Parts: sequence; C-alpha cells; structure tokens
Amino acid sequence: MSLDARLSIDRDRASAWLEHHALPVAALATAAVLVVMLYFPVGIVFSEAFLEDGIPTLGHFTDVLTDPFYFGVLADVFAEPLALGTHLGSLAAWLGAVSISLTVEYPIPGVGIPVPWIGLDTPGVRQGLFGFTAYQAALSTLASVAIGLPAAYILANYEFYGRRTLRSLTILPFVLPGIMVAVGFYAMFGQAGTLNTLLGAVGLGPFAFVETNPLAIVVLAHAFYNAPLVARLTVAAWESVDARTVETARSLGASERRAFRDVVVPQLAPAVLTGALMTFIFTFMTFPIVLALGGLQLATVEVWIYDRIQRLDYAEAATLAILETVLSLGLTYAYLRYESAQAGLARAPSPPPKERLLPDLRTALSPRRLAVFGYGLVALVLFVGPMASLVVGSFTDGSGFTLRNYAFLLERQLEGASFQTQPLPAIRNSLLFGVATLLVAVPMGVVVSMVTVRAGRTGRLVDTLAMLPLAVSGVVFGIGLLQGLVFGISLPGGWRFQVTGAVAIVVAHAVAAYPFVTRNVSPVLGSLDPAMVESARALGASRARALLDIELPLVASAIVAGAAFAFAISIGEFSSTVILASGGEHYTMPVAVERYLGRRSGPAIAMGTLLLVVTAASFVVIDRVGGRYER
Amino acid sequence: MDQQRRTFIGSVGSAAALGLAGCLTRDDEESSSSGDPDDPDLEGTLTVVSYDSMIDEDNPAGPWLKEAFEEEYPDAELEWVSLPDQGIAHYINQAQGGQRIDADVYVGLNIDDLVSVDDNLEEGGLFRELNTDRIDRSGRIRDGLDMGDPHDRVLAYDTGYISLVYDENVVDEPETFEDLTDPAYEGALIAQSAQTSDPGQAFLLWTIDAFGEDGYLDYWSELRDNDIRVLDGWTESYYGPYMEEERPMIVSYSTDQVFASAEGHDLSRHQVAFLNDQGYANPEGMGIFEDAEAVDLAYAFLDFVLSNDAQAEIAQRNVQFPAVEAEYVDLDDDFDQYAHVPPEAVTVGYDDLRGNLDGWVDDWGREFASH
Repeated sequence: MSLDARLSIDRDRASAWLEHHALPVAALATAAVLVVMLYFPVGIVFSEAFLEDGIPTLGHFTDVLTDPFYFGVLADVFAEPLALGTHLGSLAAWLGAVSISLTVEYPIPGVGIPVPWIGLDTPGVRQGLFGFTAYQAALSTLASVAIGLPAAYILANYEFYGRRTLRSLTILPFVLPGIMVAVGFYAMFGQAGTLNTLLGAVGLGPFAFVETNPLAIVVLAHAFYNAPLVARLTVAAWESVDARTVETARSLGASERRAFRDVVVPQLAPAVLTGALMTFIFTFMTFPIVLALGGLQLATVEVWIYDRIQRLDYAEAATLAILETVLSLGLTYAYLRYESAQAGLARAPSPPPKERLLPDLRTALSPRRLAVFGYGLVALVLFVGPMASLVVGSFTDGSGFTLRNYAFLLERQLEGASFQTQPLPAIRNSLLFGVATLLVAVPMGVVVSMVTVRAGRTGRLVDTLAMLPLAVSGVVFGIGLLQGLVFGISLPGGWRFQVTGAVAIVVAHAVAAYPFVTRNVSPVLGSLDPAMVESARALGASRARALLDIELPLVASAIVAGAAFAFAISIGEFSSTVILASGGEHYTMPVAVERYLGRRSGPAIAMGTLLLVVTAASFVVIDRVGGRYER
Repeated sequence: MDQQRRTFIGSVGSAAALGLAGCLTRDDEESSSSGDPDDPDLEGTLTVVSYDSMIDEDNPAGPWLKEAFEEEYPDAELEWVSLPDQGIAHYINQAQGGQRIDADVYVGLNIDDLVSVDDNLEEGGLFRELNTDRIDRSGRIRDGLDMGDPHDRVLAYDTGYISLVYDENVVDEPETFEDLTDPAYEGALIAQSAQTSDPGQAFLLWTIDAFGEDGYLDYWSELRDNDIRVLDGWTESYYGPYMEEERPMIVSYSTDQVFASAEGHDLSRHQVAFLNDQGYANPEGMGIFEDAEAVDLAYAFLDFVLSNDAQAEIAQRNVQFPAVEAEYVDLDDDFDQYAHVPPEAVTVGYDDLRGNLDGWVDDWGREFASH
C-alpha cells in the first residue's frame, strides 16, 4: 500500500473519529473554558459569602435577608418565617387599606392628552433594595417587549428599501458604553437637548422630559438597550416560522387571525419570552445607567455590590451577588421548563412572504401602514435620537461647529506617545477580539443548545447553569477575574497560575457572549420536528452529521442573530477587558472612550462616535456574510 | 533585576498569545536597590502609576513630565502606567494576596486612599515613610496642604477645591448650606454619589464638616426634601443634566470657568459659589511604594514634581492649583483669572476619616437610597 493511500486511510479514520466524537469533544472543551474563565473566578468571590474570618458561616445571608433596607417587608418574614399569624395579620391590614379608583391623567407633560388611568391607592410597602430592583426590572421588561415586538413585526413582515441593513443595525445600542447612553439621553431629552430644540422650532416646549419622571427615563434607557434584543430574537424566530403550517390551518377553515394565534404565535412565543427573560435579568443587574439617569434614589442591588467591593467588604458583596444570581437562575430554570414543553412543529423555515411596505399611495394611508409609520417615528426618537445627539455633540462646542475633537484623535494617533491610548489600535483590537469571540462563542453556544435541547430535566439543569454568565453580577465577575486570573493563584514550589493577555480577553468575551447564541438557537432548534433528525440517524448519519446537514441550515437565521450578538457583546465589553488587558496594549474602543474622558467630554464622545461607525459597518458585514447561509 | 521581571511578564503575554489560556509562571527572588541617599542610583526605569487623565486626556501633564524628567536625568526612563479601574483597592488587594507591586511611584493619592490602606492592610502600609531630607523642595509646599498622614507617606503636588457651579440666569448665588434647603433652590442642585465619585464624597465630607457627625444626615434629608438629584459621577452629571440645562446648579470644581471659557461657553452659566465662604480642598498626593525598586529615582522624581516648571505645567494641564507657595510657581494670567480660590479651605483630615469614612458613607447611602 502506498504511503499516500495509507495517509488517506488514516485521514479518513481520523475524520470519522472526529465526526463521531465531535460533539463530546466540543462539549468538553466548552466545559473546560467555563471552569477556568467563569466558575473558578466567580467561585473565588462567591466563597467569601460563606466565610467569616476563615470559618464557614451562613451569618452573612441571615444579615442581608433580615435587613429591611435590602428586603423591605419581607425581611420580617425572613426573620421569623414561622410566625405565620403575624404575617397574615399584617397582610390583611394592608389589603384592607387598598383602594382602586378610575381617574383621567395627563401623562405627557405640557400636552393635554387625557388618558383614563386606574388609580391604585395602596398604603406604602417597604420594597427594600431587592424589591425596588425587581420592580424597575419588571417595568423595563414590559417596556422593552412593548417597544421591541412592533419592530420585529415590521422587520419580519414587510419588505422595504434598507430592511436588511436596518435589521443588522437593530443591536447597535448594545455596544454603547453606559456613560455614552447617559450623556446621549440627556443630549436628546434634556431641556436644551435635540428633541426640545426641534419642538421649539415649531413653537412647543421646552418640556422637562427627564425631570418629570426619572424612573420613566431609566426604564426608557433600559428599553433602548433591550428592546433591540427582544426584536432581534423575535425576528430570527419569525423568519424560521414554517408558514406552510399557516396555509394548512387556513385551508382547514381557520381565519387569518385564528391561524396567526394558533400557529404563528406558539412558534414566536419562546423567542419573545427569551427576550423578556434576558431583559429582566440584565435590568435586574443594571448599574451605571440607573445611577447616571435616575440617581441614588433609584439605586439597585448592583449599586450596593459595587460599593461593597470598593470598600473591600467582599463578604457582603458576594452575599448580595449570590442572591441576585439565585433569583436570575431560578427564573431561567422556570422559563426553560416552559420552553422545553413546546412541541416541535416546524420542518423547514418557510417564513410568511413579506409584503411591500409602500406599494402605492392608497396602501400607505391604510391604518396599519400609518401605525407602522407612527412606530417608526417613536423608534426614531428613542433609538436614533440619543445616538445622533452624541454624534452632533462630537462636532460642537460652546461656539458652534468644531473639528477639534477629531483633531485630537488624529493627533493622538500620529503623535501620541507609546504609553498613550491611540484610536487605531483600539479599533483594530476591538475588531480582532470581536471576530475571534464570534468564532469561539458560536460553536460554544450551538454545542450548549445541542446538548440541552430535548435532554429533559438534566438538560434543563445544564442549560440553566450554562446561563450563569448572564446571571452573575458584572462587578463580581470582574473582581473574580482580577483575583483569580490576573493576580493569579500561588501553587506549591513558587509556581503561580495566571491568565492574561489577548487570548484571555477573547475567551472572557466568548464566555459572556455564548449564552446569546444559545438563547437564539435553542427556541428555534426546539421547535424543529425531532422526527427529521431521527430518520437521518436511522439512515446511519452521525449526530454531528445530522446537526450539520439537517438542523443547522434550518436554524441559520438564529445562528446569524446569535453571531451578531456575540460580536456586539465583545465590542461593547468593558470591565473584563480592562482588567485582563491590565494596562497593556490590548485596549479596545470602549476602553479608549473611558480613558479619553476627562474634564472635557469631547474627545471621549468623538471616540464613542468612531465606535458607533465602526460597529455599524461591522454589523452590516456580518449580516451580509451570514445571510449567505440563511436558506 | 527590573529588566528581568519585565521580560518574565512579557513571556506571560506571549505564552497566552500562543493559545494557552492558562499558564504557570515562577516567581523570581526579588532584591531592590537599597536607596542610599549618599550614593543615589539615578539610572534605569522609574515606573509611575497615575489616573487616566494624567496620561490620556486632552493635553495631559504626563508626557510633559516624562520628557522633562528624562532631560534632567538622562540615564533614567520614566514609564507611565495607567491606574487600574479600582484605584487604590487594586493595590490593597494585590498586597493582601502577598503579591509584589510592580511600580515605584503613585501619583494621585488622596487622604482617604491612605485611610483605606490602613483600615485594610497593616498600619502605615503599602507606601514608604518619606525621608523629606531627600526632597529639598518639600519645604515649598503651602501650609494647609499637609495631608496629615501620621506615617508621612505622601506629599501634595496639587489641589482642587470643590464648590458649586451655577447658572446666574436661573438662580441667585447660594451663600450658605442652609440656602440650599430654601424653596428658591427646590429641584435646582445636582450632586454626585459619595459611593462612586470623588467630588461626591468631598461634598458629603464638607457637609459633615459643617454639620457634624450627628447633624449631616438631617441636613441631607432636608436636601432630599428639596429635591436634590444625586447622580453617578462627575462626567455624567456635568455633561448630562447640567450642560443640557435640566438643572441650574451642580457640585463641581472651582476651576470650572477655565474650561468653560476655553470651550466658548457663556460664563453666566458657569458662576462659582463658595458656600459659607468655603471650598472643600482635595489635595492630590504622591507616594513611593514599599515594593519600589528605583527608590533613588523615585525620590528624585518627587522633588522634580515640586519644581517651578513642573508645578506650573501640572496646574495648567490638570487645571488644578499648584501645591507650592506662589513665589515658587508662575501661572498664566488666564489661569489666575478663571480659577477661583475659596476664602477658606476646609478638609476632613486623616484622623477624622480613619475608622469613620465607610460608616459615614454607608449611613448616608442607606438613608438616601431607602426604598
């Protein structure tokens, strides 16, 4: 036998082995990455919650749970869980004092539009920090779903010029550093902001949008970040809907509305609920936005975790963070029970045909089209407004138009010292890390989906635990990386285990990003008809082959969406990047924004504008490249 | 020795770049130069840590200092390292973990940083007790800028004053703390959280100085009733609600007009008010790490920072006030015109902060954020 032939047989064997073991190997690699980059660093910090001077204790949990500052009225219940009579008594007294009334309110300041309002007059309940945090997260979730769904509906059902580009750009808000969003919101909605300037031009205002209701502004800012998430997840699901099932339903006599409700809605619901769940978890752990727009009176649990960490009180920080995580993972588990209960229906993605948005003038004036335009206006104000105001801000100073901030960037690039942060390396690093993150996170996310979808209760548990990156306090994750990986761990013999540098940054980004891939892919994968894979397997295909040839093409739209998120997470990531780069040359665009921030905000805002432009261009490229794999 | 350690850190990076996510390294035995005052070793690399605005802001002082220092000490190289995000807590953490700190000088120390060091590490830790005989120009530092460290680990190199900045078209100049609780200032003031911001903490300490430990919370509850807004940090609060005219008054720096005039803003929106004729002084200091290797160069650097030119450059580029007496520094007329000094400077010193600061901030935060 010739060497060539032998090599070729070896190669065939190797690839056969790989094909059969690809999934287990990938799953093991994923697990190993998670242990080193997630469970280990987070575990280091979490363990502080169970120790007092080196002795195991649950005292920190008792302290926090029974503190009315943290848990409000629930603290009494936690303090004496068995005193049921007392608790029921106070509940009854509270219910007795509730009154409901119907009134008319004028919710928009200065505009006399009456809205019927159900007044619920309740005696004050002390919510505690956790109660308030959950409350504002629930409001933010409602707002994000309410604003995200119409966008998904329009993007999935209408054809118009620039639709694909717009779909790519929906997640742009995701990459903006918190401080840019805060400054952008004030620049748009402030008394001297863009919106008031525009309204002033037609003789209206100025309106105190921010001052009238800070909580509403915080909720809107959360929607700015998260409505795109809901929209993108839902569009991906909508484009994977098997529309032939709709036709079947229609041919059996179902009305259009009925067919939508019974056939399309069940295929969309998992994606919508996934978006709602992720929004709740993110806004539950919100930090810079709430303090920058709402102020300390709207402080959340994460604000206190940050404070405890700054004051080096790790025990209390860890206790609060664990309670956050337990709550988030509990919700995730509950949701996953629901998701896995959804029966698989779809056999092939054949999305409903898209209508042209503007076929003629008459259609353009139909109520449904007018509603679409109305929504477009809202989206323009809420999403484009703050970003456009930032861009305008980067070109203006007290005396009008200026290029000074861009001159600063250019000068720094051309003449900056080697120890200074320069724009081009920041852009290059961001793009490199972003692409690398995408390449690592997409397989990781798909593997987790594969392993957990339809794997029953064990699968749900694994899936829940795999969502830990979303459910861990960002502040705590950062400290864990610093202590566990950057400072490192002393080993016997003078050895030290340390992880820093470019690869560490990419892996940390991938860990933060793969849950987005999983959550995009799992609902769609779960909705596929399992009989297809079973027949392929019965015909001798390996699991990996069945995945590559049958399932992946069917969920391509979800993978592309997940990939875009993975890229976005990497581009926008700040805290773990700055920690793992540890002052070296691995800085990214958001890090540069932060470093340029000083008494003058112009240079940082110009850098933020650059971040927006570069990211927007990348999203369009990702969607174009990814689009080739969709059907 | 120093060179060797850098290479070893470089190798950590390159091993990681080869695709090893984790790696094992071996600590070398370290020996630092003795720092003999009579025979100073003025060669090699001096590693100086400072906050981002010293290094990366528009027109920062860092590059100037590096160039001028290297000119004066031709065998030395100054290397700037940007202060990690967590500030002093980063180094406290590192010291607690038994790790060497890979830097010589820290520029930007506050008094509360030293309090935090002493509360969490051993008394007088992290930085060396400074031998002021080796810093000839230390005598030039103004009275009142002694940072009060019982262990003499720090010298001031500049100072800022926290004051109010207001829009005179909307509100009258507030003269006392009590004025701020007056209906005329309802919904007018923006401050920053003492948990997350230096000016915010300074303003809180100023109220503690004015009303005492037992009275400041009552005062703050009146401020709260008068609808004060306490935001995250200085940047967000200044470039957000203040510059977008949501509110006409903000806790800021007394050098505000230097920026406002340079940016072409209308100065009537940038008036400075000193409550009770005071400003809260925030001296910034420099110290030498206990683990420092280039000790002689570090002393030379501290002395250099207090020289005439360096003081003028730092003051004007950082837009802070020099730490030395006026006769030792020449400032531009513009600076003198727009940078205001309060009639009286107050500050809460080391002794009062020690053991109290965390409790004060925590009581205040809980009172304020109570849901």
